[in-house]
Amino acid sequence: MVELVDSMLDLMRRLPPTRTEENVDALITICPEYADDLLGSVDQPLQIKTDRATGRDYLACDYNRDGESYRSPWSNEYDPPLDDGTVPTPRLRKLEIMANEAFDTYREMYYEGGVSSVYLWDLEDGGFAGVVLFKKSMAPSSNQEPSGSWDSIHVFESSERGRQAHYKLTSTIMLQLTTHQASEEGGENERKVPSAATTSGNGKYKDIQFTRKGEVTLSGSMTRQLEQDWPIHDPSSHITNTGRMIEEMEIKMRNSLQEVYFGKTRDVVYDLRSVDDLERARRQRELQKELVGFIKR
Amino acid sequence: MHRLCVYADLVSLVCIQDGGEKASFDSREGDCLSSSLTPECFDALIPEYRQTPSHGRASFSNAALITSTPTMDTAGRVQIASNFLLQSPPGEINDVLNDVRNIIADDEALQIGVKPVLREYNLEQFITVDCPGTSHQCIISEAARIPTGSDENEEERFLDPRSKTSFVFDHLSLEASEPQPYESDVATEPFRSALEFATQTYLKAHFYDGVASVFSKGNGAQEYTIQVVANKYNPANYWSGRWRSEYVISFDQGTVTGKILVHVHYYEQGNVQLTTTHDVAFNLPPGITSGDNSAASKIVALVEDEEGKYQVSLNETYQEMLEKTFKSLRRALPMTRSKLDWDKILGYKLGAELAGGKEGYTAS
Repeated sequence: MVELVDSMLDLMRRLPPTRTEENVDALITICPEYADDLLGSVDQPLQIKTDRATGRDYLACDYNRDGESYRSPWSNEYDPPLDDGTVPTPRLRKLEIMANEAFDTYREMYYEGGVSSVYLWDLEDGGFAGVVLFKKSMAPSSNQEPSGSWDSIHVFESSERGRQAHYKLTSTIMLQLTTHQASEEGGENERKVPSAATTSGNGKYKDIQFTRKGEVTLSGSMTRQLEQDWPIHDPSSHITNTGRMIEEMEIKMRNSLQEVYFGKTRDVVYDLRSVDDLERARRQRELQKELVGFIKR
Repeated sequence: MHRLCVYADLVSLVCIQDGGEKASFDSREGDCLSSSLTPECFDALIPEYRQTPSHGRASFSNAALITSTPTMDTAGRVQIASNFLLQSPPGEINDVLNDVRNIIADDEALQIGVKPVLREYNLEQFITVDCPGTSHQCIISEAARIPTGSDENEEERFLDPRSKTSFVFDHLSLEASEPQPYESDVATEPFRSALEFATQTYLKAHFYDGVASVFSKGNGAQEYTIQVVANKYNPANYWSGRWRSEYVISFDQGTVTGKILVHVHYYEQGNVQLTTTHDVAFNLPPGITSGDNSAASKIVALVEDEEGKYQVSLNETYQEMLEKTFKSLRRALPMTRSKLDWDKILGYKLGAELAGGKEGYTAS
């Protein structure tokens, strides 16, 4: 018997990534008892919130949520305020402050904008865990410009063995890119305004006017895991260690994303339809075969 | 051939339940599910890795809100789940259906609720079927549906205009049955048939696995519909794709309105989808009539040109999204062209401060 939660995850792996939030809500409505499993294992786009105390933006996700409030990594305060909200132990909070500063520098170097947040929590076995989040969105500067958003979620667990720490990292990147298109070509318009859009037309059909409108969306998410051991000199080593792991992971995943988004999906389109005339190619191949046969004879 | 196997397990469910032997179905369930739900599916998300912080407030807000309302009835749950089926990627409806079946866990209720949704999906997605008595496939769509009369109990029939055959279509098994000869509209058949010939030629020239149907509206209207669909399903390599296009040619209006829809799913260690829409409208070349011998090939030449241009423009869109958006969302490397020096980033001061804090996180 397949576990119910496995069916849910399989479903989420197939349904459109642009509708993840809506579909997770629908699944929770059907199976309320699986809400925790779903919210804990299906990554959803990060929400940007503003810290009331410092005015700085931070990212909200399942890991800094307590009830209906979210904790800011900058002020350590919950919004809406909670008197007894879960906060890291003072020791861990110190590391969390430092991690937020370090990964904010990383964010500026790689993202040149966007928002970052790091949340840490203690684990029952004595180790600790954390999540490093990055989000950057690009609004289109005009109607026809592409828009996009990038969400990184790096969840790690650390356990110490002497002067070594073992890290388990699970990274998910959600990426969405959208372009809207609209154009008019030919007919009356062509004679009146020889604009950029019409010069790109081939002018073959002077008496036919075309109106076009469309949208292209590439969206999705990718998850990878990595386990590594690193030496520890002092507590801050956890930040340099996870920092190096996350940096390496993001570089690899960015390459994979580029390959899948701009390579693989495009290849499938070209596996469905050919720009070149297949019949002509077939005839040419046959002709070649005949010629070869003729020469051999 | 895999087309015939789609929904195979739900079909067996229907048969067995009709025979009143529900128990024997259960014993087969394992086989059915294992055929489409492989353990590798879940490699991407291993739940035990994803430990959430153990908060004092154990249960999450939305969950708590929902559990406080009475549990939804099965019909309501089936209705919500049906919406998932309509979002199914190309060639994966059977997998989505299996998931939904497991989630709803009430096959009887699901069977009743799911049929109209499968019908909607099949019509919308231009699902193809082997036309009985022929060696070709035809498209199931709204245009292929033969309008039913006033009798509500009359069984819905679909048309393959190419072989002039009408048939009953089973939305679960995806099979056609009860073929009957269909009398086509005498006035529009010559042009429809010419359009069909030109479309089939175009299909062979540009699609690897395409199916096309050309319909005439009839009833005195000079309106024709070209529909094209091409599918590639490759579950072994975790991808699938579908190209759909449709052109409505109206001599009465003097226009052609068309659309191209592409959907690609790539799901190895993730879930990435390409969805595109492209609406196009243009006027018929002045003076052209359905009586012209060359009218059909002229119109299909315009379609061929439009689709070719669209496919090329899609490449340009990809390039633009890569250069303008992807690369500005996140750099491959920082401006310095080298990876970060993490020791420097942390700074000696911060590091020292924390190290001085006696018990750190390092085991002493």
